[in-house]
Amino acid sequence: MDLSRYADLFLTESREHLSAINHLLLELERAPDAAEPVGGIFRSVHTVKGMSATMGYTAVAELTHELETLLDRVRKGTQPVTPEVLDTLFSAADALEAAVELSVAGRADEVDVVALVERLRALGGGGALARTTDAALTGAPAPVDTPIASTAPAPGDADAAGRASTGAPVAGPASTRWLIRVRLATATALRGARALLIVRRAESLGLVSSIMPPLDALQAEEFDREFALRLDTPTGRETIDRALRGMGDVEQLEITEEVAQAAPTAGKAAESASTTRSRTSRHVRIDLDRLDTLMNLIGELVIARGRLLQLCAGTEDVVLDETLSQASRLITELQDEIMLCRMVPVAHVFDRFPRLVRDAARALGKQIEFSVIGKDIELDRSMLDEIGDPIVHLLRNAVDHGVETPDVRQAQGKPAVGRLTLSASRERSSVVIRVADDGRGIDSGRVLQKAHDLGLVDTGRNELSDDELVRLIARPGFSTADQVTDLSGRGVGIDAVQNRVRSMGGTVEIRSVPGAGTTVTVRLPLTLAIVRALLARVDAETYAVPMTHVNETVDYQTSSVQRVKGRDVLVLRDEVLPLIPFRTLVQLAPQPVGGRQHVIVLEVGDRRAGLVVDELAGQQDIVVKQFDGVRESAALFSGATILSDGAPALIVDVGSLL
Amino acid sequence: MRTMIADILQQSGFEIVGEAETGLQAVEKYRQLRPDLVTMDIVMPDMGGIDAVREITRFDANAKILMCSAMGQQALVVEAIQAGAKDFVVKPFQPSRVLEAVQRVLG
Repeated sequence: MDLSRYADLFLTESREHLSAINHLLLELERAPDAAEPVGGIFRSVHTVKGMSATMGYTAVAELTHELETLLDRVRKGTQPVTPEVLDTLFSAADALEAAVELSVAGRADEVDVVALVERLRALGGGGALARTTDAALTGAPAPVDTPIASTAPAPGDADAAGRASTGAPVAGPASTRWLIRVRLATATALRGARALLIVRRAESLGLVSSIMPPLDALQAEEFDREFALRLDTPTGRETIDRALRGMGDVEQLEITEEVAQAAPTAGKAAESASTTRSRTSRHVRIDLDRLDTLMNLIGELVIARGRLLQLCAGTEDVVLDETLSQASRLITELQDEIMLCRMVPVAHVFDRFPRLVRDAARALGKQIEFSVIGKDIELDRSMLDEIGDPIVHLLRNAVDHGVETPDVRQAQGKPAVGRLTLSASRERSSVVIRVADDGRGIDSGRVLQKAHDLGLVDTGRNELSDDELVRLIARPGFSTADQVTDLSGRGVGIDAVQNRVRSMGGTVEIRSVPGAGTTVTVRLPLTLAIVRALLARVDAETYAVPMTHVNETVDYQTSSVQRVKGRDVLVLRDEVLPLIPFRTLVQLAPQPVGGRQHVIVLEVGDRRAGLVVDELAGQQDIVVKQFDGVRESAALFSGATILSDGAPALIVDVGSLL
Repeated sequence: MRTMIADILQQSGFEIVGEAETGLQAVEKYRQLRPDLVTMDIVMPDMGGIDAVREITRFDANAKILMCSAMGQQALVVEAIQAGAKDFVVKPFQPSRVLEAVQRVLG
């Protein structure tokens, strides 16, 4: 059976369980006596164990098995939740995550769980488990290394006679006493349970007595592969044989008659054929690629609608007009529905953060109360995958540099426990993610000083706007050059965050009050597939410039262009703006000098430039089609789109221009 | 991984009439759908598989329940059988073994 197609499913489900495990571990740490977290962790671990055994991921199975053993002891109260146990559980959760990822990636040989398994075993109750584990791992039975014991009951067994007479249903006078010996196949899984099923089946035929080894021992698998029982029944040998073999895993079955009596057979009629009922599952999992394709198709449809609307504009035909507007409405609804399909709650990513914050805070000796708000806010799946790392950056920054150590906080009259909040919310057509701490904040005076020293800001300026502050600390290397601890490291992180968020068409804002904390706000569009763009015409072509990078548009007289260091620049409100003539980029002859020209002021991070175009042609929502295949020739452009008039347009990759 | 069992069964011409994620749901679904066969995980949220077996067999003594278990769950499987489960399969699931067990349970 090909398991590979289940690998993704395994990964997705395991991640969900791991996230739950981490979440519950944090709960357990807060309230070590609570029963619910342990139960929840146990269930999740158990599920992962089952899935991994099914998939043949032995390292994962081994680890989960040991974890389960320890958790079971905790659950039953025989193992108190000590800090050592918690630490081990946390490490095990990490190791499990790694083992899951590596196993699915086909790098199972890199998984090393030996040390952790040892630790878990030491806590979980020692070597008694070793055998079970071996079996659990390979799916093969434990080696049979003891000689097969004779399991036949001794003749004239007093106990047997006693039991037979105390059994509830007494077999009729016509019954035969059969001595039945069963040997299970070597590969039998859970021999105890299988033996029980066979005994049960025998009981359905008549009166069972003298089970050897006794039923308790059988159930506990305290036997090798053989057991025996007496059965008093009128049922014939063949029927018994068929019935007991029918319970599965019977390798050998010996049925001997003890007392000769009449033995009429009573075969059972086969049960009626199964009836079927139609009901289907209410959920399906869909490959993201398929949703991407749907999104592309709906994009095309939106464009086609635009053309159709244009073609039919001003038509006298009322029916056509009505049909068209109905189709148009349906297309909009379809588009919305498909967008919704792509949306997933941010919880998918947010759920791993409590653990991260806890670990970081612990490592630094800080006390932080972390809260997550708006976990059910939804975001486009592809964007959600992208946003994880930037948020990690922001949270790390807040823990590392924002929140102070308890003694410092108390000295400043703040509560010893710092607060860190991660929230998500919807604001119009964007999703806003905020990371807010009540730490020391960013000292804008120091940033200004630094900026002065580096010559980034006029010495005359003695105040910075929030935007300028972000721009300054987002400058690569700006703050790492600073020895002041409250800034160190922050800059690099913000820079990376800003680049990532910008690439998704979002923005980053920082508000900081010295001594009171910092709030970083990340604003993201709902989807990557459709963006707002400014259309510009150069020669006969139309190009699309994503609005996320457009700061403003300016008209200027060619006479006001100055030349600095061999480049054309425009001085705009006391700032020097280098000009990039679009015509030069696409190797067209420069426009005749003279008159007014149009400039789109672009901004990525702290870099700005003015793109000189022939004409501005308004804004439009465009469906982005990424280039695939050959790209070198198109370094200037990130993709293409089709405009509502049906004409294609290239999308300018603003990042590559600056 | 209900999916896998479901796939195995579907490929052999069975129809999945319902799926449940918790023991409680399983009992509820059984009452509604009265399926010919139930495959049941031992450990589930809300109500464990064993309790669900107990509830279902209390409602329908002839319910045909096949337990899905992992290695090392002997005691639980034994308990499930005592509660009325008709058979069990052990992970890793091999389609042939699953189908054998299903045939046994369906008689």
